[in-house]
Amino acid sequence: VTAATTEAAAAPLAPGQTASFGFIISADEMAAFATLSGDRNPLHSDSDVARARGFAGPVVYGGLLAAKVSRLVGMELPTPDCVWTHLDIDFRDPLYVGEPTTLAAEIVEVSQAVRAARLRFRICTVDGRLVARGTVELVYGGGTAR
Amino acid sequence: MDLYARLAPIFRNVFDDDHLEIGPSTTAADVEGWDSFAHIRLVVAVEKAFGVKFTTSEIAALNNVGEFVDLIAAKLQAASVP
Repeated sequence: VTAATTEAAAAPLAPGQTASFGFIISADEMAAFATLSGDRNPLHSDSDVARARGFAGPVVYGGLLAAKVSRLVGMELPTPDCVWTHLDIDFRDPLYVGEPTTLAAEIVEVSQAVRAARLRFRICTVDGRLVARGTVELVYGGGTAR
Repeated sequence: MDLYARLAPIFRNVFDDDHLEIGPSTTAADVEGWDSFAHIRLVVAVEKAFGVKFTTSEIAALNNVGEFVDLIAAKLQAASVP
């Protein structure tokens, strides 16, 4: 692979580009996340506990929402080989199991010199409730090799 | 404030070293952790802090911090010319 073709393959990311996808967190995903993370806080699994704490039901793990940002970075952008280097995320409102949800992102800055980009993202329920928002920084096309 | 004074806190943050000192002759070999990811963080942080953009060839041509400072100064000078 020549430098020129690598440059061409890595070129598409630009400020203003957007990406989005929908998802629904299932009970199976919640159980899987409890296993892989070791976080067995009943807030995420026991309806009675969740309601006693003022929530409508078991609250989706924040880590599962971060996992959807991982999907954005790894699968949903026009350039392959994206790797995140920074993530910040504000959890604004609880998400519940089974709620149709959308993650929408926009590229706000690109550093062509090192093939790095910064995206803002919002995770909202389909009825418009903001669940989380944040920024993610990534390198694409393998970044720069020194 | 000179450019080295403005760059020092950026370097210290990128390399997670509150005592890191940099000078014109500093190279990647002198700084623990200056790998390819840290290099990306550094360039992005400098672009953001100084409001400038670099090209791949400009970054690839740098041999030490002094040349980086010269490049930043040239960018800032170009930006200030009406």
